[in-house]
Amino acid sequence: MSLVNYATREITCKIVYYGPGRSGKTTNLHYIYGQVPEDRKGKMVSLATQTDRTLFFDFLPLDLGTISGFTTKFQLYTVPGQVYYQTTRKLVLQGADGVVFVADSQARQLEENIESFQDLHANLAEQGIDARAVPLVIQYNKQDLPRDLILTPPELNDALNFRGVPEFGADALHGPGVFETLRSISELVLKRLSQPVR
Amino acid sequence: MSITAVEPWVEIPLRKFVEEARTVLGLLLHPSGQVVAQFGFARAVDVMSACALAAAIHASAGELGKQLDGKPFRGLHHPGRDRQLYLAEAATPRGTFIFLTVFDQESSLGLVRLYFDEFCKSLAAAAPAAPRRVEPVIEERFEQELNRNLSALFGRG
Repeated sequence: MSLVNYATREITCKIVYYGPGRSGKTTNLHYIYGQVPEDRKGKMVSLATQTDRTLFFDFLPLDLGTISGFTTKFQLYTVPGQVYYQTTRKLVLQGADGVVFVADSQARQLEENIESFQDLHANLAEQGIDARAVPLVIQYNKQDLPRDLILTPPELNDALNFRGVPEFGADALHGPGVFETLRSISELVLKRLSQPVR
Repeated sequence: MSITAVEPWVEIPLRKFVEEARTVLGLLLHPSGQVVAQFGFARAVDVMSACALAAAIHASAGELGKQLDGKPFRGLHHPGRDRQLYLAEAATPRGTFIFLTVFDQESSLGLVRLYFDEFCKSLAAAAPAAPRRVEPVIEERFEQELNRNLSALFGRG
């Protein structure tokens, strides 16, 4: 649920980067953190293991500037991707206004992607949220790897994108696709605030 | 000391708690980690990080309690060297909120707990029925502004 403060004219939205372990969720946030000027971002908080695997979440607050007279702030979270952190993922997902599903494009990771995508839907359903109603963008990360190791976006679409949501190929480590993904999820989330509620 | 609140009805109970319990900062947040209101010296902590972490602690303690004890663990006190922290849940007709307060030697855990109970009651009493948003918040054609802002943010302007 986006928070709207009419008194201070401020909107705050929560975006969760979801996906299997090592698909590049934290890398997306690191890239964004590295690109954004100091005065437009807060402190990045990472609750990680000693080997830098996400244990609970990463958190990055961003100031998107003024939109329709409202100071618009996004809070970006990642979930831990590893299967055994199922409970933690559910907790981080609470109250998400939008979800970016970061898939690993490597052919050998296809099953993990599908499993994680099903896990996302199950966790949303458990919170009483209709997955079809949540703004969702899919990012096919690691598209920079050799062609024989990865699946193409159309191939990945066949397996994952049955809702036909916006999808982007990406190389989160170096940047391509990261901005486009963030722009797309921002647009979907804000679109909800630009429409009357029926 | 200044107050910032997304929902005006929380202002009086929050201000009263911080002043009477003599704490440094009071934060009310959604279980999702978003700040609903803050009163006191915000420089005591990085507010947004504190809220994200507090929501995580609250959620994980709740889940752990459910698994161990059949009901969520609620309420946490952390005594630091100079400052202490108290985290608990406040139920209202508008839903459950998480409350985080930071205090120093001017207050005590007993005082905080005492006034927290009163805070919960006054918050629940002050909570109006949930309004239903009907009108759009932002203009229908916001994309141009969004794209311009994001491009500037990423140095593509």
